[in-house]
Amino acid sequence: MNAIEVEHLRRVYRAQIGVFNRSIKEVVAVDDISFDVKQGELFGLLGPNGAGKTTTIKMLTTLLIPTGGSASIAGFDAVKQATDVRRRIGFIFGGERGLYWRLSGDDNLRYFASLYGVDPAVSKKRIPYLMELVGLKGRGNERVGGYSRGMKQRLHVARTLLHDPDILFLDEPTIGLDPVGAREFRSVILNLQSQKKTILLTTHYMFEADALSDRIAIINKGCVIALDTPGGLKQHVSDLSVVEVETFGTSEEALGKLRKLPFVDALSVEDREQKQMLLIQTTRGAEAVPDVMNALEGQRVGSVIVREPTLEDAYVRLVGGAA
Amino acid sequence: MNTIIKNTRLFWQGTLLSYRALFAWLRPVTYMASKIIMPLAQMFFFVFLGTYASGGKNASFFVIGNAIQITSISGIFGVTMSVGGDRDAGTLPYLFGTPANRFMIFFGRAFMHVIDGAIGVVIALTWGVLLMGLDLSRTDMPALGLTILITTFSTCGLGLLMGCLSLLTANVMFVNNFVYFSLLIFSGANVAIESLPAWMQVVSNILPLTRGIAASRALVGGASLNDILPLLITELGIGLIYGFVGYVLFAWFETQAKQRGTLETV
Repeated sequence: MNAIEVEHLRRVYRAQIGVFNRSIKEVVAVDDISFDVKQGELFGLLGPNGAGKTTTIKMLTTLLIPTGGSASIAGFDAVKQATDVRRRIGFIFGGERGLYWRLSGDDNLRYFASLYGVDPAVSKKRIPYLMELVGLKGRGNERVGGYSRGMKQRLHVARTLLHDPDILFLDEPTIGLDPVGAREFRSVILNLQSQKKTILLTTHYMFEADALSDRIAIINKGCVIALDTPGGLKQHVSDLSVVEVETFGTSEEALGKLRKLPFVDALSVEDREQKQMLLIQTTRGAEAVPDVMNALEGQRVGSVIVREPTLEDAYVRLVGGAA
Repeated sequence: MNTIIKNTRLFWQGTLLSYRALFAWLRPVTYMASKIIMPLAQMFFFVFLGTYASGGKNASFFVIGNAIQITSISGIFGVTMSVGGDRDAGTLPYLFGTPANRFMIFFGRAFMHVIDGAIGVVIALTWGVLLMGLDLSRTDMPALGLTILITTFSTCGLGLLMGCLSLLTANVMFVNNFVYFSLLIFSGANVAIESLPAWMQVVSNILPLTRGIAASRALVGGASLNDILPLLITELGIGLIYGFVGYVLFAWFETQAKQRGTLETV
């Protein structure tokens, strides 16, 4: 039996518009999503903002009722057997909210342990264990309001493990964390993976998904557009190379010229403080560099690198977020 | 049996921890102000205004009315904060994502405020005795204690209903203030119910506090528990009805939020 089975899941939001001339506007957040997650698997769910990732997780965690399709979690229907599902899952939505800031870390965990019906004798042992697991040993008596963002997010992990769930849903758990905090958080996720927990992870950080996931589904506009291992997804761009050009204040005109080059498969621009990094996907590899430099004539250009494609490049090609 | 133990534990832990977690006045200075200064100010205002208008011999009418009405500070504002606080803390998805018994969560939020409200009434009555000449020499004190507890409970029932409204709107404090000040009139705390227009008397009769204040005045005047028992039973019933309607609204809110996807956006 798969830990998670999702079949043709669909969710439409209806919003009322106007005060006097009221009309209903429908927004399709999830159109038709199907996938399975095996027991003990770490499954990544990637997609641009508004693709339907969080809506999908809300439906799988019983917090949102689907408009169509079905989802089975640990063999239980996410709508009809919601209470059974809740006993077997833990979930985190990114960010630091969702904790009682006036209470200490330990008291937060005590309260949620009672909400999950954890025996006090068990929670008495489990709370210190979990605080140590997430790197908060010795900080349990402090008010959560005084915790850093990273500490709050790690406390969320401890909260979600209180009832020892088999299946975890982590929705952008590293969002807003500094690089050190994010790395520590990933080590916690790897630790959970080693405990054979089934994990469904959404993230915007491609290297994170690449490093952690057994399989990844990429969703866009509410549909799964690719589902494979990280290596399998990279095969989508195996014919490509990526030319990385460091520039300073590149004009829109120059970017337009680049986009018109016939061998440019996709172009994305990353702002890095005062400079930009142009990521040009091309089938011509290093041979494309002279024409790229011609297109950028008159612009301040720093380093130029030609490299193999990454998961991010595969993602960019699949979701079409480029040229 | 196991379920009963779990739910009892949930009720008590939820009661204590949610009180500390969500009650915004739980800082020593603001708490003391809400428990000592505000009741004193309210009592001074209405007792002196009332006795100026109607004569000094009526002081106990205003002292008892306002001392009992003080319970709505905990019953209305406190309970609303405890129920609606999850909305501000962003904990609603995590609360509704647990398998916990909703009934226990809901009523657990009010329990400490029943105790808190009763303590507030005792402090206000003490002010009445020390500063405003309230005479309790003929009062059946255990019966008065029971009356205070039941009245506080029924007011918390209304507070639970108001708390549910706070899950639906960010402007519930406006409604709370309206209800609090309405109770000053409609509950008979400062105006005899019989002197109110007929429609206002109808409203008075369906509100908590009204019978609790009447029973307290009767007890201070020398009545026995038997004399006021019908008032107490009705007061208790009204509190249960408000609490039950609040719980139905709470359950309805959860279902609606999951159907409409408004759990975080309310």
